[in-house]
Amino acid sequence: MAETVFTLNAAGRIALVTIDNGEDYRKPTTLGRSAFASAVEVLDALEHGDWEAAVFTGKPFVFCVGADIDEFGKVEDPREGIQAGHELFSRIRALPFPTVAAVNGAALGGGLELALHCGARTLASNVRHLGFPEVALSIIPGWGGTQLLPKLAGPEAAAKVIVLNPLRQNRLLQAVDAFELGIVDRLFDPVEFLDESLQFARDLASNSVSPAREEPDWSDVETVLRKARSRVDDAVHGATRAPYVALDLIAGAQHWTLEEGYAAEEDAMAELLVSDQAQASAYAFTVVERRSKKPPALPDAKPRRIQKVGIVGAGLMATQIATLFVKRLEVPVVLRDLEQSRVDEALQTIRKEASEKKPFLATLADGGTGWEQFPGCDLVLEAVFEELDVKREVFAAVREVAPDAILATNTSSLSVEAMGADVGLHFFNPVALMPLVEIVRHRGTSAEALATAWDVVKRLRKRGVIVGDAPGFVVNRVLTRVSRVLMEAIENGNTTEETDEAMLGLGMPMAPSVLLTMVGPRVALHVLETMHAAYPDRFPLSPALEAIANGEEPVATGDNRRSVEEIRRAVLEAAADEIGHMLDEGVVGSPADIDACLILGAGYPFFLGGLTKHLEQAGLAEYGKIPA
Amino acid sequence: MREAREVFFVDGIRTPFGKAGPKGQYWRTRADDLAVKAVRELLRRNPEIPVERIGDVAFAATAQVGDQGLTLGRDVALLAGLPETVPGFAVDRMCAGALTAVTAAAGELALGAVDVALAGGVEHMGHHPMGDEVDFNPRYLSERLIDESAAVMGQTAENLHDRFPAITKERADAFAVRSQQRAAAAWQDGVMRETVVPLTVFTDDGWKLAERDEFLRPDTTMEGLAALKPAFRAGGRVTAGNSAGLTDGATAAFLAAEGTVEELGLQPKLRLVAFAYAGVPPHLMGLGPVPATQQVLAQAGLTLDDVDLFELNEPFAVQVLTWCDELGVAADDPRLNPYGGAIACGHPLAATGVRLISQLAYGLRERGGRYGLTALCVGMGMGGAVLWENVG
Repeated sequence: MAETVFTLNAAGRIALVTIDNGEDYRKPTTLGRSAFASAVEVLDALEHGDWEAAVFTGKPFVFCVGADIDEFGKVEDPREGIQAGHELFSRIRALPFPTVAAVNGAALGGGLELALHCGARTLASNVRHLGFPEVALSIIPGWGGTQLLPKLAGPEAAAKVIVLNPLRQNRLLQAVDAFELGIVDRLFDPVEFLDESLQFARDLASNSVSPAREEPDWSDVETVLRKARSRVDDAVHGATRAPYVALDLIAGAQHWTLEEGYAAEEDAMAELLVSDQAQASAYAFTVVERRSKKPPALPDAKPRRIQKVGIVGAGLMATQIATLFVKRLEVPVVLRDLEQSRVDEALQTIRKEASEKKPFLATLADGGTGWEQFPGCDLVLEAVFEELDVKREVFAAVREVAPDAILATNTSSLSVEAMGADVGLHFFNPVALMPLVEIVRHRGTSAEALATAWDVVKRLRKRGVIVGDAPGFVVNRVLTRVSRVLMEAIENGNTTEETDEAMLGLGMPMAPSVLLTMVGPRVALHVLETMHAAYPDRFPLSPALEAIANGEEPVATGDNRRSVEEIRRAVLEAAADEIGHMLDEGVVGSPADIDACLILGAGYPFFLGGLTKHLEQAGLAEYGKIPA
Repeated sequence: MREAREVFFVDGIRTPFGKAGPKGQYWRTRADDLAVKAVRELLRRNPEIPVERIGDVAFAATAQVGDQGLTLGRDVALLAGLPETVPGFAVDRMCAGALTAVTAAAGELALGAVDVALAGGVEHMGHHPMGDEVDFNPRYLSERLIDESAAVMGQTAENLHDRFPAITKERADAFAVRSQQRAAAAWQDGVMRETVVPLTVFTDDGWKLAERDEFLRPDTTMEGLAALKPAFRAGGRVTAGNSAGLTDGATAAFLAAEGTVEELGLQPKLRLVAFAYAGVPPHLMGLGPVPATQQVLAQAGLTLDDVDLFELNEPFAVQVLTWCDELGVAADDPRLNPYGGAIACGHPLAATGVRLISQLAYGLRERGGRYGLTALCVGMGMGGAVLWENVG
């Protein structure tokens, strides 16, 4: 990638500074070492020239997305990079004439911090990516972000943008939100955005306008931060320090000078940047954003064009999957179930949800109890009862009526090959929210079927990971092994509160007992039985789970009660062991694929690096250099 | 017989003109975005015209493909933020595109089809080299329907030198020097401030402010021009110095009908008196403005002496000189192109017409003249002329 360069052009006596890496919007501009060098040259020219104002802006569609995450791992002295940013940005802040950040596109992290160091900010009304993702990576916005944002917009806005949004799937601000929070001074239409920003700078220079901001409200700072802390606890349970440190820095901004704030940021980053959590997060980011978008296992074949989809089954998963197909592919989708009433109920739900997007989509869903509508389907996906023989019958019947269709199964643990499907497409509940689809291939999966599955998943706007046809695939296999350890604890007298605490303390987003209720104890039991059949030693049947599945209280049969820490340790050891087996069997090509599955399909946190990074850090496994 | 309504030119604007090609200021700017900028500035300067009253948008381009390809009038209207109820269409008469957009809109206004119209043109010759997408019918050559030189504008200019030996390279160069000098002076006074809107553009070297025409060479001299090599024929007379360069740029104008002008309280600058298009031999296309001028004068019952200002396009100095010689106007007549012409500012084909009209309006007001003429020659052997009356 080309290096990021700051260029300076004169628009009359207004200095027009562009931040550009010479690529199009698909490769957003970042700030690395070379960018700093060129920025310093521009600052020299700004400080020594006869300017009446300066406008900083980005290449089309991108302002600047902050520090280059690839330089993360190479940090030798964390303080050095932070100081360099403070030094550069404070020079922008000290310029003796009005400065305007014309935020024309995505502004993240260090990019937004640069904008905050300007005297005023304009924002294009179509910008949808503005924020501080640092805390999601277990660091903080350390180039003045934790100080200038609260000083500008108050502690509540700062806590939301710096801490809470990153913990909500890295939610970013849209232009209107940023304006309403008081982060920018003017919203302009994109069509003449820079022309109008230039005029705004001219007006500031001639004193004909002023930003005229409201003073930030610090009156309720204690309550604001207490509430924020409690929401952080709910999200990470103390397992990563960054969000807590960020809140402390926001609190400090009330009384610190900016220089004192800079110093506090430096101390914080010196601790955080080298932490296990930050290193694991940088790894997880790479896995999720890069590797899993272009997997090495993807064949070169041309995907088939899907113009009609059949869904066998009309239950909860089938209904959700059918809705997704109608909404994203916008092609006819036919359902088949044994009872017309179930089909009708499913169709009603699908049509209602699809028509909320576009009214005509409701007309695309149809179904019945027979196979009459299935001829002509390019893809048929089954989501019926998890019973191998049932599924075999389904696929035999489908082959008759739609001999050319690619046959896919949503099974969560059974053998795709044994049931006669071409490929597995394993969705996660709730389908609308969970990004992952495990794409299961077996020996007989053709290159075309696999390429089509990948393409369909992409067009459904889901994230696919290609996995082998082994019981439980990836997510259910790891989760079931972990859950088996928790059940064993309960069978030995531990409480659900203790097993929940063991997992939450790792930073899991959801207590395992809540997860079990969501998945359904019967389903979980069924998966365990499948796993047990394949690997009886590592997946013994669980009387506790059986009891819960039957609606009864589990009874302790052993007396090997453990501490929460011991349970946690046992969970991680079991996971490390199971992942080792999966890699030996070749279920996936790399530990990175397992991490992608756990992050995207089970919500495992970035700061555990999915899981393998944490297992390595805890000394429980050694994976060598993981290709990411 | 139904009565036609009078048509008025209310206001016109253009972008600075840029050099076509990777080194030009608009290389990374879309053609339709240039047009949108001109339209938005026009709207901003004429707030008394409610946008929903715009009855049609006529926009011209010679190359109606790519970033000039989506039925420009409608494309520009939508991109400029005009209401969806405002329709638009695309116009092509090559160099007289914007002029034709104006007269086509004038027809709608005169007949009462619309009350207010937007007309303009754009040509990004960097993105759309002349003739790039054209597939010449082989019949032109096999049946000798036209001389093959007719397809290359510079060769038609050489043909004019051949046809009128009295027009020498020296006269052409002298005309070019005058055009550059007058343009340089014009950038010092108010005409360009009133008719040109600067805009920021993204370039390989970051965002820049485009505020000047890139072809301006105020220090042009006869000696300098004499040293230039002929561009179209060995031993020829047409050089880069005495012709207009390949140009990117856009123009836009507001037109309104009588009645509406009073209703909205507009202060129009010009009244459209007459217009005419004429055909001439394609390989002598530069002659086109001669019969077109004669026709508008005849329509209006006026003579050349009644006309106080001429804004003629200058694709080639020799082309303007043939018009001067044929009609008996001195090449250095102060009424002719007082702010210089395309040799100095550039000629973005289908955009130029509105530049001529805007400058004519300014010139007539500045000089207190009554009648003014705008005229252009057109490839494939045509000419267009519009006669205006100053009402500003």
